[in-house]
Amino acid sequence: MARAAAQDFSWKQFKVMLRVVIKGEQHLDDTGMGLGDDGAIKRRGLLSSLGSGARKVAMGFLFLLVAAMFFMMGYMLGEVGVTPYLAFSLCVVALVGLTVLTGLYQAVNILYFVRDLGYYLTLPISATTIMWAKLAHFLGMSLLGDLILLPVALGCLLSVGAAPGTWVAVTAAFVLAAIAVNLALVIVCVPLMRFSRLAHDKDLFSRVFGGLIIVLALAIGVGSQFAFQGDGLASLASGAGGLLSGGVPAVVVGVLCPPSLLARPVVEGDALAALGGLLGMLASVALYAAILSVVARRWYFEGVQALQGAGGKRGRRVEGAELTQATRTRGSFAANLSRDWKMMVRVPVFFNQFVLSSLLMPLYFIVIMVVSGVVGVSQATDAGMDPVALLEMARSLTALLTFDNPSLAWCAACVLFFGLFLGFSSYSFTMGVSRDGEDFFFLRGLPMNWSAYLAAKFVSPFALSTVPMLVLFVAVIVLLGVPAAAGAYLVAFYLGATVSLGLLSLGLGARFPRLTWDNEAQLVKGGGATLMVFAGLLVGVVVMALPALALLAGALWNVLAIPAALGLALAIFVAECALLAWWVFGPTAAALARIER
Amino acid sequence: MIKIDHVSKSYDGGATKAVRDLSLEIRSGEIFGLLGPNGAGKSTLLNMLAGVLAPSSGTIELDGVNVATDPLAAKRNLCYVSDSPDHLLRLKGHEFLRFIADVYEVPDAVRGPRIEELAREYGMEGELDNQIQSYSHGMRQKMMIMGALLPDPAVWILDEPMTGLDPKASWLLKQSMRRHADAGKTVLFSTHVLDVAEKVVDRVGVIAHGELLFVGTVDEMREHFKSNGSLEEMFLELTSENSPFAQAADPAGEKDDEPVAPEEQ
Repeated sequence: MARAAAQDFSWKQFKVMLRVVIKGEQHLDDTGMGLGDDGAIKRRGLLSSLGSGARKVAMGFLFLLVAAMFFMMGYMLGEVGVTPYLAFSLCVVALVGLTVLTGLYQAVNILYFVRDLGYYLTLPISATTIMWAKLAHFLGMSLLGDLILLPVALGCLLSVGAAPGTWVAVTAAFVLAAIAVNLALVIVCVPLMRFSRLAHDKDLFSRVFGGLIIVLALAIGVGSQFAFQGDGLASLASGAGGLLSGGVPAVVVGVLCPPSLLARPVVEGDALAALGGLLGMLASVALYAAILSVVARRWYFEGVQALQGAGGKRGRRVEGAELTQATRTRGSFAANLSRDWKMMVRVPVFFNQFVLSSLLMPLYFIVIMVVSGVVGVSQATDAGMDPVALLEMARSLTALLTFDNPSLAWCAACVLFFGLFLGFSSYSFTMGVSRDGEDFFFLRGLPMNWSAYLAAKFVSPFALSTVPMLVLFVAVIVLLGVPAAAGAYLVAFYLGATVSLGLLSLGLGARFPRLTWDNEAQLVKGGGATLMVFAGLLVGVVVMALPALALLAGALWNVLAIPAALGLALAIFVAECALLAWWVFGPTAAALARIER
Repeated sequence: MIKIDHVSKSYDGGATKAVRDLSLEIRSGEIFGLLGPNGAGKSTLLNMLAGVLAPSSGTIELDGVNVATDPLAAKRNLCYVSDSPDHLLRLKGHEFLRFIADVYEVPDAVRGPRIEELAREYGMEGELDNQIQSYSHGMRQKMMIMGALLPDPAVWILDEPMTGLDPKASWLLKQSMRRHADAGKTVLFSTHVLDVAEKVVDRVGVIAHGELLFVGTVDEMREHFKSNGSLEEMFLELTSENSPFAQAADPAGEKDDEPVAPEEQ
């Protein structure tokens, strides 16, 4: 009883805590799911300020771009006869789905994985107050992200010419739904963190949830390839409406997000019904807030204490011959590669971002190809065609891929386009040096071979991002019966594109590293990292422009003979790779040896 | 031998001077203690010696090798322990030591027995298979010291090496320093613990406001101040605002704090 009383909420302390939390709390975000920001990284100078401002503008532009896309999507839904209620249902189901997918970890991150939490424990502030301050911060951040979905419903409202009052009611209903689902997740999160052993192992928890999120995100990506075709979007909205119309799904969504149960009168009812619905939604949010307050008073502080006391996994005693074997001599390159690989695999955020997603990318393509193949075969069979005959037809076409045929040049151009697409993942090269963070300055005190260091930084992401795709690429070439010489050319072309892209990205990352970050998520997520991903495309354009021009000179403009165009394009890649290798392992490596804090 | 010749280090285009025209020669076979208050420029100086920072002007030589012009050769000849032991935390203890041994090219015949010996001495035998991030602050410090001593180079540069060490490890390190110096090699370390300096060093240097205020033995320092007080009292006197040295080192209108080197924070 005394403990519960000691955990009572204090408005005065809440305001103080909220200010502290917003100003500069450091999150131990280990999933790399975009939860950390890079606000802790402060630099001085006009250029830095300009860079920061430009980054914010670019992020705002991206947000508006996506919002505009969703708005248009909603407008099209309205055009094909989807009602505003169904569009709103789609928003709410997507909101609940995404929040369930990522929200639990976000809540755990904000409420528990905070570096300063151990310090807060020593202060005379009640746990309930601390939790609500963090929660207010969390809700603010979540709402900003959730609002990206709202334009779908608003677009539909525009399409059907809804009254201004409906716009306001729908917006208010969506905000209440977003608050409710986040509160529901925290109600689940608090006892989970108190009693789950998994949640007390930060690395394991981060790895499991991070992996789950990436797998599900890819699954959604694959699913969307098929859902957004034909009337897929309209049927998706219809399905979302069905989820809220009754039965077990409606109960599940209703428990996670009670306002969803009152959505129909708010969207479709008259003013009185809408007001009643909104008041009902508000009451459900208040109820969840009260439940959360009770749950937090009971278990939040204990959960935090359990987390603070959790220990890591212990190793064995290594000695004698085993120790000698474990510490045997390696060269500089092998030593750096081993160190870099271990750091990448053992840091959950790096594992999720650079290892898991890289390995899943080929899987993504395989699934799309297999599903497309199955659908294609099914459609061909329905049309009375033999799938084997179709494959033979494809092979008869690929047999034309010879060095005097423009089709090989166009295939090479497709490889370039594919390489450009892979530019999205080139930031794993760009981040190579930055991944070391403050450790870099420890390495600076050692007699390091910086060329070997950078070579190791190149091999790790290359092995992860390029080699699996190369295997897939060769498999497709073999399956389609591409002539050996043409196949070898395309493989060499692919390697030229990826090696040059990787080298240039690595070199740029080494020239402009971000070494002062507080946690890994700051590095690989947030505004700067998002822009870095898009910058990868520009880097791709830079390295692929000349080979592309050579190919087009042969295949499109007929300025060069096809064999000459193919040879020139490949020669340009070879020259680029040689030049970039010299630049990276020579001057750039030397520049690393001069970097200061 | 360490030879520092008119070395300065400034930031912000010269507005902030962390080290000012400092010259010093540390002989082979001696342990040199560098004393100074927070923000005095100790870590900046040691970072320059280790090649992590480049001097704005002046030259540094380690056993005749210029750190700026031939950093690799200079670094092979030195080991450096910074004041923060939080490095390469995701590596296990033996993986960290292997990495250091590989970088310094320590032969197989030496590294195995040496790692085992160091682990035994510092009581880390049972911890080598654990990731460094699971270590306490003191254990991390021990691991950094083991990494520094493993290649056994001629020059040891240690920034606050006793911080976090238990008494036995601290005693061991002091013994190692003494042995190293007696073998004709060089040890330079910084410390805030004046008692340690008093008992271990052959010579002491006091730095404040980026300037070297005094160099000599502890006895010479006592003589210099004509005082029988402890080194601590002398240190306080030497670095106080009323010290003629401090006043000389702080001309009006110049920023003399050292906010940039985060390892001192």
